[in-house]
Amino acid sequence: MPVPADRHFYLDPARCIGCNACVQACSECDTHKGVSMIQLDFVDRARSTQTVPVVCMHCDQPTCAEVCPADAIKRTEDGVVQTARKARCIACNNCVLACPFGVPKMHDEANLMMKCDMCYDRTSRGLKPMCASVCPSQALFFGTREEIEALRPASRPVDGFRFGAQVITTRVRMLVPKSFAEPLLAVTAPLESAAAVEALDPLLANLYQESES
Amino acid sequence: MADPIPASRRERRTPLDPLPDDPFGPHPAWSAGVRLDTGVEPDRIVDTHCCFCGQQCGIRLKVKDEQVVGFEPRYDFPFNRGMLCPKGIKRYLQGAHPDRLLSALERDEAAPGGFRPIAYDRAIERAAAEIRRIQEAHGRDAMAVLSGASLTTEKAYLMGKFAHMALATSNIDYNGRLCMVSAGAGNTKAFGIDRAANPWSDILGAELIWISGANVAECAPITTDYVWQAREHGAKVIVVDPRLTPIARTCDLFLPIRPGTDVALFNGVLHLMIEHGWIDREFVERSTVGFDDVARHVAEWTPARTARTTGIAEPAIRQAAEWWGTAKTSFLMHARGIEHSSHGVANVLGAINLVLASGRIGREFCGYATITGQGNGQGGREHGQKCDQLPGGRKLADPEARAYVAGVWGMAPEDLPQPGVDAYEIFRRIERGEIKGLLSICFNPLVSLPDSDFVRAMLGRLDFYVAIDFFLNETARHADLVLPGSLHEEDEGTVTTAEGRVIKINQAIECPGEARQDWRIVQDLARALGRERGFTFAGPREIFEELRVASKGGVADYSGISWEKVERQQGVFWPCASDDHPGTPRLFEPGSWNVVAKGAGPYYFPDGKARFNVAAYAPPTEVPDAEYPLILTSGRLIGQFLSGTQTRRIGPLLDMDPEPFIELHPNLAEHLGIGDGTWATAETRRGRLTLRARVVATIRPDTIFVPYHWPGQRSVNRLTIAAQDPISKIPEFKACAVRLRPATAEESCAAAEVSTPSRRPSLPMAGG
Amino acid sequence: MDPVTTTPRSAPRSAGPIAWGVVATAALGALIVAGSRKLAHFDAALVAYTFSVLFATFGLTYRYAMWLKRPPTDFYWRRGWQVFLRRGGRGGRLGRLAGLARHAVSDLALNRFIFARDRLRGLTHVLILWGCLLAVAITFPLVFGWLAFESEPGDPGLYRVIVFGFPAFAFPSDSVLAFFLFHGLVWASFLVIAGVMLAMRRRMREEGAAALQSFVEDFLPLILLFAVSLTGLMLTASYTWMHGYAYDFLAILHAVTVIFTFLWLPFGKFFHVFQRPAQIAVRFYKEAGREAEPERCARCGHGFTSKMHSEDLIEVERRLGFDYRIDPGKAGRPDHYQRVCPPCRRALLAAAQGAAWSGVRGGTLVAPGAAPAHVNPGLGEGPLGRADAENFHG
Repeated sequence: MPVPADRHFYLDPARCIGCNACVQACSECDTHKGVSMIQLDFVDRARSTQTVPVVCMHCDQPTCAEVCPADAIKRTEDGVVQTARKARCIACNNCVLACPFGVPKMHDEANLMMKCDMCYDRTSRGLKPMCASVCPSQALFFGTREEIEALRPASRPVDGFRFGAQVITTRVRMLVPKSFAEPLLAVTAPLESAAAVEALDPLLANLYQESES
Repeated sequence: MADPIPASRRERRTPLDPLPDDPFGPHPAWSAGVRLDTGVEPDRIVDTHCCFCGQQCGIRLKVKDEQVVGFEPRYDFPFNRGMLCPKGIKRYLQGAHPDRLLSALERDEAAPGGFRPIAYDRAIERAAAEIRRIQEAHGRDAMAVLSGASLTTEKAYLMGKFAHMALATSNIDYNGRLCMVSAGAGNTKAFGIDRAANPWSDILGAELIWISGANVAECAPITTDYVWQAREHGAKVIVVDPRLTPIARTCDLFLPIRPGTDVALFNGVLHLMIEHGWIDREFVERSTVGFDDVARHVAEWTPARTARTTGIAEPAIRQAAEWWGTAKTSFLMHARGIEHSSHGVANVLGAINLVLASGRIGREFCGYATITGQGNGQGGREHGQKCDQLPGGRKLADPEARAYVAGVWGMAPEDLPQPGVDAYEIFRRIERGEIKGLLSICFNPLVSLPDSDFVRAMLGRLDFYVAIDFFLNETARHADLVLPGSLHEEDEGTVTTAEGRVIKINQAIECPGEARQDWRIVQDLARALGRERGFTFAGPREIFEELRVASKGGVADYSGISWEKVERQQGVFWPCASDDHPGTPRLFEPGSWNVVAKGAGPYYFPDGKARFNVAAYAPPTEVPDAEYPLILTSGRLIGQFLSGTQTRRIGPLLDMDPEPFIELHPNLAEHLGIGDGTWATAETRRGRLTLRARVVATIRPDTIFVPYHWPGQRSVNRLTIAAQDPISKIPEFKACAVRLRPATAEESCAAAEVSTPSRRPSLPMAGG
Repeated sequence: MDPVTTTPRSAPRSAGPIAWGVVATAALGALIVAGSRKLAHFDAALVAYTFSVLFATFGLTYRYAMWLKRPPTDFYWRRGWQVFLRRGGRGGRLGRLAGLARHAVSDLALNRFIFARDRLRGLTHVLILWGCLLAVAITFPLVFGWLAFESEPGDPGLYRVIVFGFPAFAFPSDSVLAFFLFHGLVWASFLVIAGVMLAMRRRMREEGAAALQSFVEDFLPLILLFAVSLTGLMLTASYTWMHGYAYDFLAILHAVTVIFTFLWLPFGKFFHVFQRPAQIAVRFYKEAGREAEPERCARCGHGFTSKMHSEDLIEVERRLGFDYRIDPGKAGRPDHYQRVCPPCRRALLAAAQGAAWSGVRGGTLVAPGAAPAHVNPGLGEGPLGRADAENFHG
């Protein structure tokens, strides 16, 4: 059965608290039990507790599938990019290195790429994926457009991403503020602009200094 | 003092940390076999709740061949709607665990791990004989009971009844002493009732959310969604914490407070509210007493003084006061960060003063709550396992309460013991030779109490110690007898969540081996003691039925709650005094009736009015000085729970943070010459601790943080101070003086030796 | 649910592959004529089998050649031979030859990597693999007339084996060797049936498999293998114990199943048999990459793959029509997104979303630059092995 067309995955990494619930629940999913597919990173732990969860974005034109020499990655009609076909994958690492979102994982002992398949065993039966079910901050949300609009009146989904000159559209959506005017999220912008981003240190900024008194 | 230690105990050698080959572990467990097999159709799926924190998320457990093999999200439970943190997700790995106690154990120095199995019946007989001997020789109070708030309400009630009626000892206390008591005492003083004032749904429409001393993201993760949901509708969030926790990273205003100075901040904010006229005068007039005294008291808390005391920049304090002062709706939450203090009750009262002055309570989206830490932190503190308490939130010293409860129990009121002492004082009484015997359940004081080297020494002085647990926890390693108890999923009963919602825990599987439900063990003990009357319950449901009667007419009135109603309504908020009453999600609604005010007003005092209480600031018991120039604070990690008896045995959770660490600011690290990931040694007047440094800019430069879930050499509670709040008796875990330096080569080697990074041996994978 | 193939950006021309198919088929035809001594040893009853194999040969060669024309396959094909045949490198060419043998045994003959995925699955695959190989090794020479048995003229109890037209050794017809040799296909079918049963069991009970499998891609091959084995066994049973009962019918039934399997060979799942050896080329390519200059992430500076692989991928992506170039020309900044490591790509994504929110709601963002780190350092949930650790500099 296909994943219902009106059900979508919405990502809001700004909400993420890095709790690992998605990572732990992912390894309980029946399509890859025992191994977790979701990516969860500290962006810069030395300076911040910010974390970022990334599931497969399920590109409309998946780079990973195109660069696969073995035709191991298939996108099903419902827009889900499936994990590598076990019979075909030759563990060449092309997909891992080419995915613009940094999603696939390489299981080299098993000579197999593995990646998030949106919990196909669950979503194809009308259930929510494991990670979006458990996510305590709901940085990962799975549901209909109506549901997300009701829950997040200040947010708007974006499904286009720019990497250099390349635009990638995806089945998974990223939430940006309603006031955000751009049609696309420019992921590589920091690599392109010359201006250094000022990082505010909210801890030191609000710390009492003796000179104040 | 005469040497109280019997010869047999003096020869014992319980090492600080177990040897690597210890049969009782802790061994980390990972999914394997049937739990990895995606082709297994579960025999049944049981709707129940998580066994860990006070939020008590709904969860569904998959059972196959009398083993919990996995979980399913429980989408229909209104509090969490399927959400879970990693602890709940992997909790099933605590079952069918290699460390699980499957029989009673008796101390035997020669046996591996120091214990040999004995028959359950013999263990019960021996325990009863020892208890009788101690009580006959040294009086009834020579036997103490330490209980816990992760037990169901039925078991907590039974423990209180067992201590007060069967043992007739004054000395019972519980591990909520380390958790909930400051909030409880503060709430009782201000509102006359000890419960979260609002259900969490009131967070959703609040305009302003104030979070003080609560690492919401790690200790109450599901609450994060409530906070975020409110923000999505425009709420602002203020977080007060010495560390930039994950919830603080995303807040609108972060106040990096110096540990132990919270009441100064609350007083300073109230000062600014008064100065700017941001007080709900009408509410204060109509519904409270004592405002003028408090106003006089906070007059001296000028912004400048507040800033100096709390270590927060003055503009930030002014901003917080303005937001709090001018909000239309708000929700204030606090947790152990302000409560784990030698003036924890004052901190709580300071917070409540802010709420009362704003008048924003008892209405939709206007709320106040402490975030209860333990699974049954709420229900476990209401029905008589606290040292001064009887069921229904009654006072043991109150003659009327004694008469009522004694009547329910069928005993003479004068046979009820008088109030006893708190959990830490119990150890001091062991030192004085007044307490000779100990029964513990659901409590691991050797890891969780402060200054734990003292606790360890006192365990060695006991005449007789019997512990009930499902794993051999670090304290139980010092026991003479260990009785094999039940896991959460092996018993049923109710617990009361952080919201005050009574919910039902359902049994998923039977106890393995000789292990049995804790209430059976306690009743077996009563029978063996010859004090069987009142301990012949056939099951938790019968205990609950008696609890309903015993709590009737008390503040914590459960008499209108039945298990059926709990299941039907997805939980019932107490107080609920009659069968047709739906429960009370929100307290203090204008015009509401309660058992104390009897219609005079919504608060639980005879005049129906809430109390302002002067909350005087005092510095922590130990402040930094030239010798110990830094502040040590401790707390939890998302992957671990309390003393780690369960979570240090679950491999995937241990993977997240295999080791405790010392968190410090890069400025401090540079000053001391400590690099990220290197070994650092922290010293206090109590002890010394060597752990790896985690150098991060998310902590105040004058403060270091160590998580407390680990025992032995890695236990931060060997460093913490045993100072306690004079009212609540909560220990001061959150602030003591410490000094820090790079570890010596010797210390690093010793630390590396007990360091056991978790590593799954290979990569199992199902469905290849 | 059936997969749809993603649209290739440029469909390769098929003239070359057709030519390769014709050449391969003709070569096999010539070998059949030569090996059977101008069809002297050719069994006319098996002609249908012969033609189905010839067709399969054409189909497989065509598909293989088409496959090699895809940019990613093409680059691995060329690079694979290049790194294998190059001078120097660790162990030299002789070492790589030994490596080839080692990998062939470990990957192709023993399927060690499948055992690493799941032991039962490894067993399943090895049973089917060796069952099929055994059957092919016995039947193909017989069908092509490359192998024939004749009674020794002087001794009717002795069989003479004729290989490719040359008389080879002889053996007694009632010997144990004869029993094993003449029942070779029985043993092969036992292996295949056991393997098919295990595979079916997995497909029937595992939820993960159930969600993804399709009839054509996953069940049909198993059904075909089962049908071939079963009808073959029935033939044996018919002439051994049932005096040839329904033998002709069974022979036709068996022929139909076998011929269908061959005709389908180039199109379905069985094509993976011919793709799998590419894995060995990948191993050599990775080995060469480790010895060569690493690509360092343009954002965090960690080495995450070889410069060679990175450059090759840039070229492959260009040929596929992707353009991940970043502002070429500006100094000090990466010219291509491919030079950013996977964790930094995720960090950039978070930064982009966070930047969109800045000023709208509170909270702070970290200026990009530092190395991201896995939140869960445990091996179990973190990097899945050496390659993953390199990709994620874990």
